[in-house]
Amino acid sequence: MADEIELKTAPADFRFPTTNQTRHCFTRYIEFHGCLAAKGESNECERFAKYYLSLCPGEWVERWSEQRENGTFPGPL
Amino acid sequence: MIESQRHSYHLVDPSPWPISGSLGALATTVGGVMYMHSFQGGARLLSLGLIFILYTMFVWWRDVLRESTLEGHHTKVVQLGLRYGFILFIVSEVMFFFAFFWASSHSSLAPTVEIGGIWPPKGIGVLDPWEIPFLNTPILLSSGAAVTWAHHAILAGKEKRAVYALVATVFLALVFTGFQGMEYYQAPFTISDSIYGSTFFLATGFHGFHVIIGTLFLIICGIRQYLGHLTKEHHVGFEAAAWYWHFVDVVRLFPFVSIYWWGGI
Repeated sequence: MADEIELKTAPADFRFPTTNQTRHCFTRYIEFHGCLAAKGESNECERFAKYYLSLCPGEWVERWSEQRENGTFPGPL
Repeated sequence: MIESQRHSYHLVDPSPWPISGSLGALATTVGGVMYMHSFQGGARLLSLGLIFILYTMFVWWRDVLRESTLEGHHTKVVQLGLRYGFILFIVSEVMFFFAFFWASSHSSLAPTVEIGGIWPPKGIGVLDPWEIPFLNTPILLSSGAAVTWAHHAILAGKEKRAVYALVATVFLALVFTGFQGMEYYQAPFTISDSIYGSTFFLATGFHGFHVIIGTLFLIICGIRQYLGHLTKEHHVGFEAAAWYWHFVDVVRLFPFVSIYWWGGI
């Protein structure tokens, strides 16, 4: 067998106790981009990137990236 | 007539207005749907229906005035029944507005991710609550005070003063409507601008519609007072108009606080 694969996902966040984790995903996405804007492409932002990538559906991430490119992203970046 | 009946209730004479109102409502609804789906003749049927409804209102209430002021059918119990009825109508209107405020709160207290999880949504040029809305609120409140002044004048038998007070009330109401119309015209967002626009214009729009109806009611009261229809013991129509006006006033305060002030921060 190859090396042990470590399986992890975003930790449970007490701010979002509900089954519907939409806001959790969105908040992590915003946090990641907020971190990028504040600190540039640093390693600390990697952590946030992993969180949102595990929580958010791929289609949403694609749609939001498109919106950010067009300048139509509605969130507080 | 009233001498030959051995009870003090009012059994109304047969009248065509209920059926004509219903036919008008039918034409309005069918015409409205046709218009919204771009069918031929939809707009025409809709306008015909609305005119019919307005005509029915005019003649129905004209008949009520004839039966009460001129024929004397409105005894104390009839007046009491009318008052109860009108209060219940106002309660139903409160329910109506409650729905729109619920909708507004639903969307604004937990804004969805589709609009960025923030309120007001990004890009909405919110109206400054401390400009026209802040001016309009005391205008409406003063018109409420003026209608109370008119009521006291009627109760004291000061007929001319009551007319002046009603003129003041209507004047303030028209000023309010004018400012509100101007604000609508100049608003940087429309009803199609996200859920913000929808809830804003629906809540304030229906409120404005009720202000206009209330103003008309008060104008009619003013005319009747001028013609001497109202006495200090018997003025149910005026009381109804005054209650309606106070209701419109109170409803105004809710959107001011929740939609204009809180919703814009």
